Parts: sequence; C-alpha cells; structure tokens
Amino acid sequence: MKVGIPKGLLYYKYYPFIETFLKELGAYVVVSDDTNKGILNEGVKYAVDEACLPIKVFHGHVASLRERCDLIIVPRIMCIRDREYICPKFCGLPEMIKNSITDMPKITELPLYINSEKSLYNWFRKIGFMITDNICAIDTAYIRALNVQKKFKSGIKDEGYETNIVLLGHPYNLYDNFINMNLIEKLHKFGVGLITEEFVEENYIDEEVNRLYKRPFWSFARKSYGAAAYLHSQDKIDGIIYVSSFSCGIDSVVIELIKDRIKDFPMLVLKIDEQTGEAGINTRLEAFIDMIDRRNIIEDNLSAHG
Amino acid sequence: MGNVYIAAKIFFDGMGIDYVIPPMNNKAALEIGVEHSPEEMCLPFKIMIGNFIQSIEQGADTILLVGSCGPCRFGEYSELQMKILKNLGHDLQFIVMDYVKDIGRSELMNRLGILISESKKSSREKVLASLRAIKAINLIDKIEERAHHLAGYEVNRGECKKFLNKCKRDVFETDNPSEAIRILESYRKNIEKVKINKNKKPVKVAVIGEIYTVIDPFSNLNIEDKLMDYGVCSKRKLTPSWWVKDAAMKVLNLNSLDLRRASKEYLPYYIGGHARECIGEAMIAQKQNLDGAIQIFPMGCMPEIITKAILPSISRDKDFPIMSLVVDEMTGEGGYVTRIEAFLDLLERRQENVSHGC
Repeated sequence: MKVGIPKGLLYYKYYPFIETFLKELGAYVVVSDDTNKGILNEGVKYAVDEACLPIKVFHGHVASLRERCDLIIVPRIMCIRDREYICPKFCGLPEMIKNSITDMPKITELPLYINSEKSLYNWFRKIGFMITDNICAIDTAYIRALNVQKKFKSGIKDEGYETNIVLLGHPYNLYDNFINMNLIEKLHKFGVGLITEEFVEENYIDEEVNRLYKRPFWSFARKSYGAAAYLHSQDKIDGIIYVSSFSCGIDSVVIELIKDRIKDFPMLVLKIDEQTGEAGINTRLEAFIDMIDRRNIIEDNLSAHG
Repeated sequence: MGNVYIAAKIFFDGMGIDYVIPPMNNKAALEIGVEHSPEEMCLPFKIMIGNFIQSIEQGADTILLVGSCGPCRFGEYSELQMKILKNLGHDLQFIVMDYVKDIGRSELMNRLGILISESKKSSREKVLASLRAIKAINLIDKIEERAHHLAGYEVNRGECKKFLNKCKRDVFETDNPSEAIRILESYRKNIEKVKINKNKKPVKVAVIGEIYTVIDPFSNLNIEDKLMDYGVCSKRKLTPSWWVKDAAMKVLNLNSLDLRRASKEYLPYYIGGHARECIGEAMIAQKQNLDGAIQIFPMGCMPEIITKAILPSISRDKDFPIMSLVVDEMTGEGGYVTRIEAFLDLLERRQENVSHGC
C-alpha cells in the first residue's frame, strides 16, 4: 500500500513518528517534495481563498500526492496538550481537503488527541489496520516510532554569536524554508544567533503564562508568549523576530500580548503570504539588525521606536 | 449586539444596577474600534472596543464580558481588551464570565458576586429579574422570527419591518421590567394580525454564519431589513435565545441535537466557533425546502473559513444555492447589495423553473 505524507503543517514536528511507524509496518511511504513554486500554486488554486498560507501549502502538498498514493495522512489534530487547542483549521482540515480537492484517494479523518497516550495509540492502531491485519506488528511499530520521536529534538539554539535573537512563530512557518524564504540561513549570514521556543523550559513558560489574567488556550500562543516573556525578562536576547502568516487568528492575539509585555523592546513581525516578495523581507531584516547593532553600541539602549 | 441589549436592560432594571447602554452600533463606534484594535483582529472585536469606549465616555466603570475557551479567538477577547483599555488610561473593573470548568466554581461565583453586590434588591427579586430577562429575549426573538417570515407574505409592503422597529423602540423606552414584558407580549400577539396573502410564493432564504455578524444588524449591513424590503422570507436559527439555550444544555451534552444530526454528513466534529451549526443550518434549510442560504462571516474568522470550504460541496450535492459574504470594516454597501440582489434573482428564476440563461 502506498501511503502519502504531505510535508506541511505539523509534519516538521512529528515526521519521525509517522514515518517510522509506517515504514515499520511495511507500507510504501511517499513524502511530498519540499515546498516549491508548483506546490504553492496548486495549493492556492484548490484552497478556499480566505485560508492562511500554511493551509494553502498543505493543500498543495496533498494535491501533489493524490495520484501517487492509496492513502494520504491528513491528521485532524485536536489538541497536543491538556485543555489546549491548536487552531480550528487543524480540526477541520480533512473536511477542507475533501471538499476542496477533487479525485482524492482515501484520507485519514479520525480525530487525534496527542495529549492522551491512550487515544494516540488508538489512532495509530486504526491507521495500522488500514495497512496490515497484524496487531503485533502495529504495536511494535508504534513503540519504535514513539522512541524515535522522543529522541527527536527540533528547534534551534546557536552558541557563540554576539547578537542573539528569539525566532518565534508556528513550526511550519519557521522550518519550511520555501515559505519563509530561507530566513534562518539569512539570519545566520548576518551573524545573528537564534534561539527558538523549544529551548525554553516548560516551567519558565508556565510561570510567565500564569501571570496573565486568562490562561491562553492555544498551544502555540502559550509557547510563543511564554518564551518571549521569559527570555526578555532574562536579558539574554537582543531582539525578537516573529514569523506570522497573513490573517492568522492566533497570531493576531499573541503578537499583541507579546508587544504589551515587552513594551519598547525591539520586535520585528514578518508577515508572509503567497505574494511576499523576497526583496522586501531582506530590506526589513537588514534594517532590523542594523537597529539592534546600533542599540548595542550606544549603551543607553535606545527605545525601538526611535 | 442584536437584541441582547433589550434583555440586558430588563435584567439590570430589575436588579436596580446602574448601567450604560452604548449607542447602537454605528460608524463612529467602528472607527474608534479600528483605531485601537490590532489590525488583523476580526470585526466583532473592533466593534466591541468601540462600544466600550463610547460607554466609558458616558460614564461606565465596569464592563461585563462573556468568555469561552473554545479554539476560536473569541475566548481571548477579554485579555486583549483589558490590556487595550488599560493602555488607553481607562481605569475599569472587568467581570468576565467564563465556563465553570475552566476557572472553577468559586471563582465564577466570586465574579458573579461582584456584579450582584451592586444590587440592593432581595434575592427573590434578583431571580425574578433574571427570569424576566430570559423571557424577554425569547419573546423578542420570536417576534423577530415571525416578522422576517411574514415579510414575504405581507399585503402592504414594509408593514412587518415597521412593526418590528416600533416594537423595539417601545420596549426600549420603558424602564419598568414588567411593563416591558407586557409590551412584548402584546406585540407577539399583534404580529399575527399583519395582513397577509397566503397565495404568495416568496423566495425563502436562510441566513447562516458567524453568530455575531448574523445577529448584529450593523455588521451585516442590515441584511435582514434588506431582505424584508425585497419581500423575501428569511430564516435564522442563531439567535441570542438559541445561544442561551445551547449554553445551558451543553452541560448535559444535549445541545442542538437537530443541528448535530444534520451536520453529521459533512462535519462530524465540533471544531470551534459555530462552524458545525452553520453546516447543520444549511442542511436543515435545504431539507425544509428553502430556496437558498446566505452565509455571513467576518474577515479572517477561522471556523467559518472551514465551513466556506465545505458549503460549495453541499451546494453541489444537494442542488442548493449558497452564497458567502465576508464583512469587515471596509465592506462597501453598493457591492454588497448588488451581490444580494443577484443572488435573489437567481433564486427567483430557479423557482420559475427557467432552465435557460444561467
């Protein structure tokens, strides 16, 4: 059986798990190509106009896989931590795909709760049964996949740079080098060290988040806000770069919360959509880094607003 | 927000609590809201900020908000709005009504206590005030529903609309809760006396979509009034009274079973906001032999984007026309009206079974 895995959304966080699991079961795994112009165009063509860039890109990946596979993994991830959600669009992803793209092979539609081990196991068992009847094989594959995932660490933490910046944003915006136009490489070329929220310990994040009036109920929001607030309070960083896709509902809240917390500390919000021009991004990055450098030279730490 | 203010007024009148009702949503409120809100926020947030600031100008010192913890960003409204108003230099008390399971029962009672402590009435009167408010909201929603329905059959064009507006004005003018209920009840009876012509075959349309923009006439540019002017029967399931009932039944997990059943084929899970309800409504409208449905949602609304992806399939599978309208602060009335008119023309033609010219 040929199983397709679209390289979009939370693929960047969980690919070791799903790939190991399927390979262990003996399925023929097809992973879509890295995002490219063609995939993006397909996505824009199929997805509903109002959707955000990552959702459109995901549509493109699925469309590129549909003729090559018997089953495509389209996870309906409901939550990844207790009492938290991701984004409504994740919960309705299979519906969007099914109704927007024609001639689809079978896709996975069951809801997936990553926060509970039991429901996670049940989900994988059901996926497993689509491929094989051997329950022992499914169990072994599941355990192996779980171990591989546990060893997998995503995120960036650079050492030895003079200027250090927190890079925030949803994982699929940060690690998809096509849609963010090689942002990470660009920043390294500027001689800027990066740190992402994965390297801020959970208890520091919780501590910051608890100071809010209301507990944020999105996993992304909690992490981005907590990491930004903690690192800012520790005085370890020189600036914040937030990569956000246009019309993201979660970011519209989180960015405001962070801005309110850090006051006039330097922060650059990079909005990306299917029409972002690379020259504009470069100019903004250069200007931002120039500003940080000057701020470091002049000891007064001038306000970011000039 | 829609007719909620009528119920809220009756409630606070009964409780003897001072309150400020902001002016009806208007351009000025929206402009103030847009000025102080994050750019990418959705329309309801911006209008609400405008309302708050206008109320503060009229002397409000406490703001009552409902919250939620769904995946829709409505739940985060309170946090941001508190910060925005604080940064503007307004010193206010906020009362946020959240779900019990999220903040704990004692905290909820505590927050309720702050609200009620203002009132000097006995607890019997307090309960009475709440019951009256619920009754009022049910009545006004019922009157509205009938008016929207009868508009398609009325003999004298515009009578239902006039009737409805007069009703709202009369209720608003009185400060006596029992008087308000009496007025509403008499209007409820009188609406059936509007002269109708049963032989008419009006176009029937369901209004579906995001609850705030559907209920609030300012954000949807008075779509229901417009439909009444065209002599179209309009039907809307999402009303404040529906919301109250839905929230109450949610505890028992028995809320809107009909919508759940209807939406099962296309969207079998709750994904936040009222996306599932929207799909369910479209399906029910189709089963009830309505002619079409109009979906309205604010720009960037996450749950409704998903339904917008699903609705074309329903439309195709069931041969049921559905139009989506996106509203935000930049919506121009001209383009909006043109689209509604074109859609209604299409429905009318389908009725006459004209098989050409489409």
